[in-house]
Amino acid sequence: MTLRDVFNHLILCLGVIFLVAPIALIFFSSTHSTATLQTDSLQLSWGGQFERNYTSLLGFEAGFSDEVTPLAMLKNSMIVGLGVAILTTVFSILTAYAIVFFRFPWAGFVFWVVLTTLLFPLEARFINTFEVTSSLGLVNTHVGLILPVLAAALGTFFYRQFFLTLPEELMEAAQLDGAGPVKFLRDILIPLSWPRTGAIFVIAFMIGWNQFLWPLMISTDDSLYTLVRGIRLIGQESGPGMALVVLTITPPFFLLLIFQRWFFNSLAMTEK
Amino acid sequence: MAGVELSGVKKVYPNGAEAVRGVDMKIDDGEFIVFVGPSGCGKSTLLRMVAGLESITGGDINIDDRVINDVSPSERDVAMVFQNYALYPHMTVRGNMSYGLKNRGLPKEEINKKVTETATMLRIVDFLDRQPNQLSGGQRQRVAMGRAIVREPKVFLFDEPLSNLDAKLRVQMRIEIKRLQRRMGVTSIYVTHDQTEAMTLADRLAVINDGRIEQMGAPIELYNNPATLFVASFIGSPQINLIPARFEGGKLVSGSIQLDGFENLPENKDLVLGVRPDALSQNSDSRFEMRVDLVEQHGADNLIYGVLKGAAATEGDETEICLKVDQQILPDIDSNLGLSFDTSRTMVFEKDTGARIV
Repeated sequence: MTLRDVFNHLILCLGVIFLVAPIALIFFSSTHSTATLQTDSLQLSWGGQFERNYTSLLGFEAGFSDEVTPLAMLKNSMIVGLGVAILTTVFSILTAYAIVFFRFPWAGFVFWVVLTTLLFPLEARFINTFEVTSSLGLVNTHVGLILPVLAAALGTFFYRQFFLTLPEELMEAAQLDGAGPVKFLRDILIPLSWPRTGAIFVIAFMIGWNQFLWPLMISTDDSLYTLVRGIRLIGQESGPGMALVVLTITPPFFLLLIFQRWFFNSLAMTEK
Repeated sequence: MAGVELSGVKKVYPNGAEAVRGVDMKIDDGEFIVFVGPSGCGKSTLLRMVAGLESITGGDINIDDRVINDVSPSERDVAMVFQNYALYPHMTVRGNMSYGLKNRGLPKEEINKKVTETATMLRIVDFLDRQPNQLSGGQRQRVAMGRAIVREPKVFLFDEPLSNLDAKLRVQMRIEIKRLQRRMGVTSIYVTHDQTEAMTLADRLAVINDGRIEQMGAPIELYNNPATLFVASFIGSPQINLIPARFEGGKLVSGSIQLDGFENLPENKDLVLGVRPDALSQNSDSRFEMRVDLVEQHGADNLIYGVLKGAAATEGDETEICLKVDQQILPDIDSNLGLSFDTSRTMVFEKDTGARIV
């Protein structure tokens, strides 16, 4: 091993520590008592309160009619996360398909308009979005939690870039083979896009899952609490609170683990 | 199987660019037609119009006596082989070949039977369960052909199918395509810019220039009897020698060279004398002389390149000339070589219009 290798490994080790430290901090803190956390702040050692914290978390009930339980919050988070992920993926692929493969006037312009949504994140247009959502009667509904989050161009952009790398002859060959627009999408484009779809699905899921401000604004009903909102309810600096944080980051973690091969293949490398 | 007829076919793009300016052509059942021309001449556009991938903005295209202008590509009963193969990357060879048949709703056993038959004929049976990215260029080309053949179309369309292959494979595949077409007797249209491919494959050749058919006929007819300067210079490898000249006092004059044996040519007009490299011969009793620049030894014969001494300049440069001789003749560089030719094997063109006079 040369000096250069040692140096490189040192940098990598530091990077790993830097990335893993917060997760370790959260996990170890969730094994300490609330008192320790309050007086000595977050911990990096095993605290022995693991069972107690997690049991008390599972029995946690809050809200006006005790509707806010970890399971109910998990269910809401899943609905929002999966809703955002599935709908974003579907709309993105359809939009990109239309923009790339169908010659309609102003296609280029439409794409740039779609892309400008990246410049206006949900947080920047809260008031208007709230007005629209409430006038649609979607306050305190799951649809109301999901719909406004969908207006993000990231997925469309990813699919478009991928579709542009495909040779035009592919569609022409399919045309001659008797595949209309729907069959071409179903038989050729969707199978070819699986790695991309996996990546976009994961990203969209995280965006939906991690929403905090928007659910806070649009839902006043206790039954719509998501996990991310629930952390505030229990209190960050308590043992069960840290346990809830661990519970909150677990589903996205496993999702990423499942999709990681596709995820890195399609984002880190150029295809073909 | 069917004949194809084009009458007054035009293509004008919405921005006003004219790609095809009125093409008339009658292709007989089972004929192998090659469209040849320089890039951007409209040959591919014309082929794509037959396929239905490009709309027809004027005239009619008939396949089997049916106007197909507004018929969708899949219902025209044509199959196309693309330059980049355009195989479906995620499907196996079998999937690629059966996709079109599946879309037509053929029963599974019949699809399997046809795919196996075609694959046997193309010698790709062993690859049926592989994906295109596991195949070599030549194998992919075969699969692309198989995908076209298995559908038993009325017309085969080839869009420069061999340009992505290396030289040796190209020759092999060229021969194979010709054989297959003979055997199946399916009407075929083949687009290429390679004049060797065009000459060797075609029953009839259509030389296309600037959206028009310059001349159409049997390859050897076009070689021996080109109607225009463009056809003469496009067909034949090495290219025909073109010598600028004028007809003065009963002689064809180019600079200080004076040639007998020409009659009834228009005077006071810029002319071009065309002599094929194989129509020239080395001769001490010469009609003009060349200074040798370069000798290419091709094995059986040598190509001698040089400058035609005393000839009028071609666009400001010395007029170059090429001569095809036996392998024994190997002149020194910078030596002078006397040349002569048989007047009956020369052609004279009008320079401005490109029209053939003699």
